Amino acid sequence: MSYCVNCGVKLEPSLDRCPLCNTPVLNPNDIPLDRPVSPFPKEKGQVEVVKRKDLAILLSVVLLATGGTCLLLNLLAFQNHFWSLYVIGACLVIWVMAIPAVIYTRMSMPLSLLLDGAAIALYQYLICFNTTDNRWFLQLGLPITVLVTALAILLTLLIRKVSHSFLAVALYIFSEIAVLCVGIELLIRHFLERDPALTWSALVLAICCVIVIALVTIISRARLRNAVRRRLHF
Amino acid sequence: MSENQASPKGRKKTDPKTWYRLDLSAIVYPTLQRRDFSSVYRLSVLLKEDIQPDILQKAVDIALKRFPTYKVTIRKGLFWRYLEPNDRPGPFVQKDIKNPCMPMNFKANNHYLMRVYYYGRRISLEAHHSLGDGTGGMCVLQTITAVYLRLLGHKISNGYFVLDVDSEPDPEELEDAYMRYANAKVCPSRPAAETYRVRGTKEPFHTFNIIDGILSVKEVATVAASYKVTITEYLNAVLLYALLQKQLNEFHLKLKPVRIAMPVNLRRFFPSKTLRNFITMVYPFIDPRLGDYTFDDIVRQVHNYMRFYIDEKFLRGDITTNAETKRNPFIRIVPLFIKDFVVRMFYTKVQDRNSSAGLTNMGALKVPEDMKPFIDRFDIYMGQPFSSRTNCAIISFEDILTINFASCIVEADVERNFFRKLVEDGIHVTIESNRTYDED
Repeated sequence: MSYCVNCGVKLEPSLDRCPLCNTPVLNPNDIPLDRPVSPFPKEKGQVEVVKRKDLAILLSVVLLATGGTCLLLNLLAFQNHFWSLYVIGACLVIWVMAIPAVIYTRMSMPLSLLLDGAAIALYQYLICFNTTDNRWFLQLGLPITVLVTALAILLTLLIRKVSHSFLAVALYIFSEIAVLCVGIELLIRHFLERDPALTWSALVLAICCVIVIALVTIISRARLRNAVRRRLHF
Repeated sequence: MSENQASPKGRKKTDPKTWYRLDLSAIVYPTLQRRDFSSVYRLSVLLKEDIQPDILQKAVDIALKRFPTYKVTIRKGLFWRYLEPNDRPGPFVQKDIKNPCMPMNFKANNHYLMRVYYYGRRISLEAHHSLGDGTGGMCVLQTITAVYLRLLGHKISNGYFVLDVDSEPDPEELEDAYMRYANAKVCPSRPAAETYRVRGTKEPFHTFNIIDGILSVKEVATVAASYKVTITEYLNAVLLYALLQKQLNEFHLKLKPVRIAMPVNLRRFFPSKTLRNFITMVYPFIDPRLGDYTFDDIVRQVHNYMRFYIDEKFLRGDITTNAETKRNPFIRIVPLFIKDFVVRMFYTKVQDRNSSAGLTNMGALKVPEDMKPFIDRFDIYMGQPFSSRTNCAIISFEDILTINFASCIVEADVERNFFRKLVEDGIHVTIESNRTYDED
């Protein structure tokens, strides 16, 4: 058993450094042939995962029962039009959105957002069955859903992979707001069969551009960045 | 609805009407619950022979029936949380881990708020503080250990912390003893003061750095006697000294008072058999703004502080102040989520900033005479500190005094200053640690 030359404490034989001052233990007179067993285990523990199986089953059964009952009522009693599709679609959207929360908690965020987008697109498609024309779906509903989903996935990936600082997140959000507004206006004009041009979205674009340029400047200047962080921390 | 009642049939099959209010201290701990923090403490006993997990599991199953307030789950009501008997299988003994006192999700682990680990010769019990304090936990651990030794064929009698597993729980063991004794005529205010706070580099989630110091009780008692103080007062003074040294060595524009949060076991002053929380905090401190403190000055200050404040009257006033918040009808009707928000805010902004470190001393543990030959020593860990700092817990058994430091920060300055001071005073210290180092 060795003593730390710095602290003067006796060190338990399995320690190769003093835990108090990080000084290595070098005792040429006491070289253990086998490494002594530490009084502490080596394996790290993981926080227990909450099992939400019961809640997942309950949610699935309730949604399935709601959708199924409405479908039967629609087919057997109230047959004027396919109103049950609204309910079935809503149940499907809720179920898909609940997947990462209660059914498969390890699902990655981008995949979960992609499924959410797909579920909402499917819901719009189901609504199409009760409308005379499906042009609104193909030219407006579906493209906007795709655009919003793509931007949400991009935001998640940027936050996860690039930077998640307060200023960087603000930069992503303002850039995406600009793209979203421009995209929505262009799609609306296309739907209304007008020439592509920017009106109200140009205003949003201009404001966002100013904010984005300011943010890029702040982020690229370390001193400025730190000053802003100090004043805006919460 | 029968509250805090264990019906005679309750031992075999839990009475669905049984439930327990959280005690006065326990109300706070679940509100501080975060993804990366739980108020979990750990008690360990080191036996003379390797643990047999299957026998230990049997011992846990037998012993826990005697502790209805530990075999529970926590539930949310509209206004308060409460404990409900848990009949799910478990808690199961598991192999020990390097990073104990992990956050405890209330809905994981079959909804149990306690864990039992084994490693080599050691049995460890981790319990959420909302179930009870160290004394209650020690009763559970020692009773489990006694049952385990009995299952191995040894004759172990009941007594001290070992309870009779064949008897019914005494209603007094389940009581919220605070409310029985919170009857002072006035509620003294507790001024919060600016305090030096240890700022450390946070370790990645969930790292739990342990440094244990093993000392001889006789040596420490001799040194403490040379200062004319008790062991607790001496070790408190050493911790204050270590924190003061750290503050002086760091960059500072102005010095701040150094204060230790020390739980006091109220059972010493107010007779109660409760196995739930029955502690209150005292805050021995030194204020370096008043002048330079030598170690002798610190020892004298701590000694005088303890003699003055650890007094039945002061403690009664303190618990009355705490109890008034629970008794106030306006506070009682506030929904739980608002209470949670306010309590968490108060704890983060005031209570946690009121001390530089935590120190608890469970004192000299006694076990039945026929159990002594099987036990080497006990350990106690205060658990993960709420903020970036170090907590210190002390326990002694026979001639072995164990000082267990636990932190989630990289730096070990406080521990270093603390143990170096003990060595300077001529005490032999043996160090154990779970810290690992990357090769430089």
